[in-house]
Amino acid sequence: MIGFGAQVAAIARRDLRRERRTGEVVWVTLPFGAIALLLVPLAIGTDAPMLQRIGPGLFWVVVMLFGVLISVRQTNAETTAQRDQVALTGLDPAAIYVGRAAASFVLLVVFQAALGVVTLVLYDVPVEGLVLLPVTFLVVGAGLALLGTLAAGIVSTGTNATALVPLLVAPLSIPLLIGATQALEALRLGRSSLTWVLMMIVTVLVLAIAGVLSARPLQETG
Amino acid sequence: MIRTHVGIPVFRDEGSRTPVRTLLAVDTPQTLIDLDAVSVRAGSVHILRDVALEVNAGEAVGVFGANGAGKTTLLRLLATLVPPSAGTATILGARLDREERYDVRPRIGYVGHVPGLYPEMTLAENLAFTADARGINREASRDALERVGLGGAADRLADRCSHGMQRRAEFARVLMTQPDLLLLDEPHSALDADAVDLVEALVARTSSNGGAAILVSHDRGRVASMATRTVEIARGTIS
Amino acid sequence: MTDRPQSTTTSWPWIAMAVAGLITFVASMTVNPDAIQGQLSRIMYVHVPSAWLAYLAFAVTMAASAMYLWKRDLAWDRRAHASAEIGVVFTAMAIGLGMTWAKPTWGVWWTWDARLTLTAIMFFVYLGYLALRRTTDDLHARARRSAILGVLAVVQIPLVHFSVIWWRTLHQPPSVFEPASPDIDTPMLATLLLAVAMFTVMYVAMMVKRVELARLEDEILVSEQVDDSVVAGEAVTAPLLDGGAA
Repeated sequence: MIGFGAQVAAIARRDLRRERRTGEVVWVTLPFGAIALLLVPLAIGTDAPMLQRIGPGLFWVVVMLFGVLISVRQTNAETTAQRDQVALTGLDPAAIYVGRAAASFVLLVVFQAALGVVTLVLYDVPVEGLVLLPVTFLVVGAGLALLGTLAAGIVSTGTNATALVPLLVAPLSIPLLIGATQALEALRLGRSSLTWVLMMIVTVLVLAIAGVLSARPLQETG
Repeated sequence: MIRTHVGIPVFRDEGSRTPVRTLLAVDTPQTLIDLDAVSVRAGSVHILRDVALEVNAGEAVGVFGANGAGKTTLLRLLATLVPPSAGTATILGARLDREERYDVRPRIGYVGHVPGLYPEMTLAENLAFTADARGINREASRDALERVGLGGAADRLADRCSHGMQRRAEFARVLMTQPDLLLLDEPHSALDADAVDLVEALVARTSSNGGAAILVSHDRGRVASMATRTVEIARGTIS
Repeated sequence: MTDRPQSTTTSWPWIAMAVAGLITFVASMTVNPDAIQGQLSRIMYVHVPSAWLAYLAFAVTMAASAMYLWKRDLAWDRRAHASAEIGVVFTAMAIGLGMTWAKPTWGVWWTWDARLTLTAIMFFVYLGYLALRRTTDDLHARARRSAILGVLAVVQIPLVHFSVIWWRTLHQPPSVFEPASPDIDTPMLATLLLAVAMFTVMYVAMMVKRVELARLEDEILVSEQVDDSVVAGEAVTAPLLDGGAA
């Protein structure tokens, strides 16, 4: 059997190739998120200072809620026959989990970057934190990818799977939401963001450990 | 016991294959499948009930039954994809109620009646994924597609291929991985005469290499000619 | 079909719940009301114990989930489920009572107090836990999935807790809407502690009955599943052609 890293790479390559062909994230999920950002001012008013103030928070909420669609899309779309063939490759379930999360991570970083530009434009939010912002994108991307992949594995093919995953992910993604918003807010106020970043990193580590340990038991439930 | 050499295959010329390097010598038990009073439940109903089946190396067993008899579930059980609800199941020496069942999965070739290809990937990419996962040279995937007559369609997206072509690609995957246990669900479904010959050759090769094949079908005539023996399955039980 | 399983517990849990509830009611109604809040303060004797019970219940869910993952004994899964169910009910009660108290007191139904926010988050987490258990009838698959979520949820709770605390600390120091923390009158404190104790008794009693009920539900499910007369293939018969059998 090939090494763990090679197994992860095989799964991630497969998922990214499939996404490149279908374009679901770029052509469906991303526009959907952008529309959400567009709808809010239509509902609450277009007062520029207010929008500038709430813009960053809204961005992160949209990332959390819509980002979960990215991390569960391919798990939910996989047929029984496809899952059977993956199982028969003998790949370590933990490697399958990490590989799926890795592919979702890449797509989530792209998603955040693109949506970030939309937010900058629509809400006239000043760009701050040229180092902190990418770091936050990476950590949030990793956290959401791990959480969404784990949640999709927990729900698997059960009843109401599609609706249940966001319900499971949303509350558990709150440390990421608060960490991301407060890290950038702290920067804006001239304070240290380190605590918030560390909190998010701890969240990511907890999710990674939970996902890897749960991978084999969860493969049984399919 | 039969000693099986597991190596990286290289397809040299028509009909011949020589492993370049033996990675592992595996002592395969003579009895490859041993089911003892095995039942499988789905919710509140039994799909299989008290199934007993023993298959030795070199055998090709045809399993016949009507719709809903439990043929596909039996095959997925043998592929270690479905856990038994009761009884003892041993596949290639591994008990299905233990972690060791994961270790034998790479030695199983399973072709279901629904292809397990990713529609948005080409046939070559689908097989290359399996090759990557198994540590097999990627060229082997194209070679395998050539050998099943899909060389010209290797770069075609799977969802642009007919059902028959997709099934051929699944057989190419089996050809590439050289399993010890070959499990075929409705092996003749959607296949033309050439592809049928391919299936027969695959079954013969697996059996002659010390493996075994299970062919599940409701088409007695065609499968009986490939099988060394047949069993009937009805209402979840083998008679 | 086998005979339906029978309950093996006595009626002491019902008696215990009734007595504990009665004691709580009497105590909360006889203690003097708060000098400022008046009769409204009596909500505290149900609201606070409800919140305590919710936290206790979720902690038990986590412990029982971990035990299931270790022992693979469905009894632990039943305990985890029962405790989560009770926890969700009492969390909803705590939030509802809190809102009822908040409106006349603070003028708003809700504030973004750290503890309130955390409690609301936990409510949704465990609501998801209960929803997850409805996705399959396979007992061990259900138990496995639920146990993983049961452990993950609690591991995440400290992270949520600290993030919310820090968020509140940075954003809004105690304001006019934040109740002061006055010294509590001794009789009121005693009543509150008594109420917490009685609610704990009620929790234990509810757990006994709910775990018993879960055991009976699982036995019925298992008995249906091992019913030898039901085989999937029996539902398929030969098609009828030209008005008769083929």
